[in-house]
Amino acid sequence: MKNRLAELRTKNGWTQQELADQVDVSRQTIISLENGRYNPSILLAFRLARLFKLQIEDIFLYSDEEDRYG
Amino acid sequence: MDKHTQWIAARVRIGWIILAVGVVIGMIGIFLELRGSNLPFAAAIVTGWGILGVGTGIGVIVRYRAALRGDQAARRLTVEELDERNVSIRARAGNRAYWASTALVFMGLMWASFAANGSMPDLSGDVLWYFLVVCVAAPFGVYVASILVDQRNL
Repeated sequence: MKNRLAELRTKNGWTQQELADQVDVSRQTIISLENGRYNPSILLAFRLARLFKLQIEDIFLYSDEEDRYG
Repeated sequence: MDKHTQWIAARVRIGWIILAVGVVIGMIGIFLELRGSNLPFAAAIVTGWGILGVGTGIGVIVRYRAALRGDQAARRLTVEELDERNVSIRARAGNRAYWASTALVFMGLMWASFAANGSMPDLSGDVLWYFLVVCVAAPFGVYVASILVDQRNL
């Protein structure tokens, strides 16, 4: 799933480690999220949305093509 | 004490409990060995389980106790252990190892069935021992390989 994590993180001037520390995940998870290789749990998505003061759908961009059940 | 340190402290307590249980089981095993009772199995098996418990307990304590030195260390270890991507990778690896194990046990059952009517050599003695070694080692190999592959791909 595409997302705006890297863009939002850079806008806030945070490193991947700093973002990881704020949402209690490893730096590797942030890297995988930013690369679109890993989709977060709903809890992590909410933590990220709350951190950036945005809605989940403003960060994670759903598309029908990527949803194999959609 | 923050939530990370509390989580680590709980793991250390579990380590001590495993260690204590291991010591008790080990002492029972040694007692049975010294008494030379007429058990239908070697009492050394009980001692072996005790030693396994002691080793596991010490391992758990050493691993987590180091992280109790500071909040930052506790935080790092907790995040690493509970990180949802890592948990997911371990779960996938466990699932694959389970299927590998099931496949091996199924092969063993088939072998035993064919051996019973003479179509295959008997699954006993050295052959049985090696087969059981494969049953233990292969799922572990699948588990480790799966973790390595998913760490790269996920």
